[in-house]
Parts: sequence; structure tokens; C-alpha cells
Amino acid sequence: MLEALFLLYFLVLLATLVFKSRIVTGPWLFLLRAFFPNWKFFHATGNVPHLYARWAMPKAQPTADLQWSDWIPIFPRRPRHLLHVFHNAQTNLALVQQNLVEHLAADLNHLAAGADARALVSYQLVSRLVCQSLQTQQPDCAYGQFEVRMVLDGTTGLLQEDTMMRSPVLPCR
Amino acid sequence: MPVSSAARALEILLALSLLLQTLEYLRIRQVLTVQGLWAWPVQRTDIPPGAVQNLLDLLFGDRAMHWHLLLRLPVLLLLAWQGSNLALAVFLFASHVLMLIRWRGAFNGGSDFMTLVAISGLLLAQLVQLGGDPHLAWRAGLWYICLQSITSYFMSGWVKLMQPEWRNGQAMTIFLNAAIYGPLPMDSVLRKPWLARAGAWAFIGWECAAPLALLHPLVALVFCLIALLFHFLVFWFFGLNRFFWAWVVTFPAILACSAQRVFW
Repeated sequence: MLEALFLLYFLVLLATLVFKSRIVTGPWLFLLRAFFPNWKFFHATGNVPHLYARWAMPKAQPTADLQWSDWIPIFPRRPRHLLHVFHNAQTNLALVQQNLVEHLAADLNHLAAGADARALVSYQLVSRLVCQSLQTQQPDCAYGQFEVRMVLDGTTGLLQEDTMMRSPVLPCR
Repeated sequence: MPVSSAARALEILLALSLLLQTLEYLRIRQVLTVQGLWAWPVQRTDIPPGAVQNLLDLLFGDRAMHWHLLLRLPVLLLLAWQGSNLALAVFLFASHVLMLIRWRGAFNGGSDFMTLVAISGLLLAQLVQLGGDPHLAWRAGLWYICLQSITSYFMSGWVKLMQPEWRNGQAMTIFLNAAIYGPLPMDSVLRKPWLARAGAWAFIGWECAAPLALLHPLVALVFCLIALLFHFLVFWFFGLNRFFWAWVVTFPAILACSAQRVFW
């Protein structure tokens, strides 16, 4: 009897992979999604949101145009060390920041027509991330701007890149 | 593995895993302050206005967060040293859920989810013990953790099996290229298609077969040893050290449940 129950349990799990059901969403479900894990890790390749940003110095005169830097990727890359298996705080922080960019991309996808993306918590947090990253690289920068680009990688490198959104100019001071 | 030994091993490993997590939180606590990237005044709008939001305002203040994390340290030492009790399990459960909310649902994805499973198993064992049968209580807790852990491997394997990019090995190379430690070197052996395909199929097959670990203690032991290698590789290539510890915590439950010989 117990064997049959276990078999049934794993068959139901397989069925959930084949038959798709409606996705239930809500603020508390998002925050407490740990209670409903789907255990799907690294399961599908495809477009991945990447964050790009550029900076500008303070204007020399109020009427002058901003002189923008080139777009630079804000994408986590860290050095590797064996002892990080015990303590890897900065890498985990970098990973959660990349997750934040993915949440912003998902929020933008579900944004109602006419809604302002700037009201999104994910947008506001990414704006802070951009300004802090730019100021780390260029302490005198006064303005920032970011793009969320959907990047499709193949085994040998970039296949396709599309800009999903470009932010307004952000005051970074 | 006897239930009592498994329970003790679970407590010690869970304490270690949560200790490492807490030390990492303390290391990066500046990002959670008002001036930090993850400032609560920005993030609080995730929470519908009301009493819960007001309560979280108190709990997620800079000083309260710091003390909360510091309080976890002696509690975890207590868990490792003398074992769990109901109050301790309730504290760890509440503390973990609070940290999940503070990080908008997860700090480190699946490792947070599996840590919640382990704490929930601990809490379940303590609650059932109120009925007066510690052995039954720990069996319930261990089976809950074991089933969730086996499910995680099973689902992760089958969902990969359904993707053509995983079956032909391309997915592994693509994910490794995008990993936090940088793209694979152009001459990396892992770029060889036959090796990527073989590696992908090896791990997919092993994950899909996870329920078989419950058939015999020896199978469970081999399964856990492979899992140990698997999670170390995931750490090595993707930096996910928390995944390593979060899943290792569940191994005593898998070993204990397989030894109960339910299926043979």
C-alpha cells in the first residue's frame, strides 16, 4: 500500500511537468514562495535579462548636454576560492542582485498598460544598484541611466540581444 | 542510520548551515541599512499596508535586524551543542521566514527553500513530540525532510530531461559560461560537446532516479555521496555554497528513512 502511495506521489509530480495549470500570483505569495518550491534549477536556456548602465559627470553649465560614458555591463563576476564553500557573502550578494534584475524584467513583462515602472519596488532597487555601481567605478558621476537587455547566449557566445527598457536619467548623488 | 542518530546529525548540520548563513548576513548587513541598496523604506511597499507592515517596520529596523542576526548565533550553538526544543525550533522558523521576507522572498533561491524544509521538519518533530512519542515525532520530521529532498532531485532531473538543450549537452555549457566565475576558457575541456552531453546525462539520470535511494540503505549512501560531489561542483562552478550545506543537512534524513526498510 505504501509503495503504491509513493509511486502515485512521484507520478503526480511528473504530471505537473506535463500539464500546466494557472499561475497564482500575489504579493504575499511572492514573498513567501519558499513555502511552494518547484525545485526547477537551471532548467531552461533562453533570454536572460542583463543590466547595462552609463554615467555622466555634472553639467558644466545648466544648458549643456550630458556627456555620457559608453554602456557598461553590471553583471556579477567574482574570483573563486575553495574556502568560499564556508563563507561566500560577496558572491551571494552579487547573485541576489542579478536575481533582482530578473525580477525587474519579470515585473516589466507583467506591467499593466499605462502603468509606471518607476513605482515598482524592483525598479527602485535596481536604480539604487545602478547608482551605487556607477559611483564605485566613477565616484564623481552625477547621473546614471540603465537598460535591461534580454540576452540570448549560445555555447560559443552571444546570439541575440534586445533592449527591453531604458530608464530615465537618474540623479546619482 | 538509526532515527536518533539521524536526528542528532540533522541538528548539528542544520546548526552549521544556518551559522554559515548568519555569518554571511552579518558580513553584508550594511546593504540592508537605510543607506544600503536593499533599504527597507523602499522595500516595505512590497507589503500591503496594515498591521503586518507596521510590525515589519519594527523588526526590519537597522538596529533590530542587527540584534536579530546576533541572537541567532547563540541559538545555533545551542542547537548544535544540546539539540532542539520547541522554543528553539519556533524561533528558527520565524527567524528564517523573516529573513526571506527581508530579501523579497529569497536571498539564495533554492538553498533558502531547502533550509526552510529542514527547519520545518525540525519544527514538525518538536510539535509531534508534544503528543509524547519522540521516536514517532522524529520519524515524521525526518520523513518530511527526506521526501522534500528526494522530490527536489527528482523534479530537477525530470524538468531537465524535458529540455532538448539539456539532452544534447548545450545547456550545461551555456549555464557554465554565464556563471559568476566567468565564461569557460576557450580551451576548457567542458566545452567539448561529447563531455557536456555525457555530464548532462549523468546528472539527469542520477537526479531522475533519486526515489530509488529509498529502496536500500546502501543505495541511499551511494546516492548521498554522489550528491555531495554534485553540490560541490555546483558550488565550484556557480558559487552556490549555501546549496551545498542546505542539501547536506537533508542527508541524515535520507539515510535514516532508507534504513527503515519501508519498501522491502
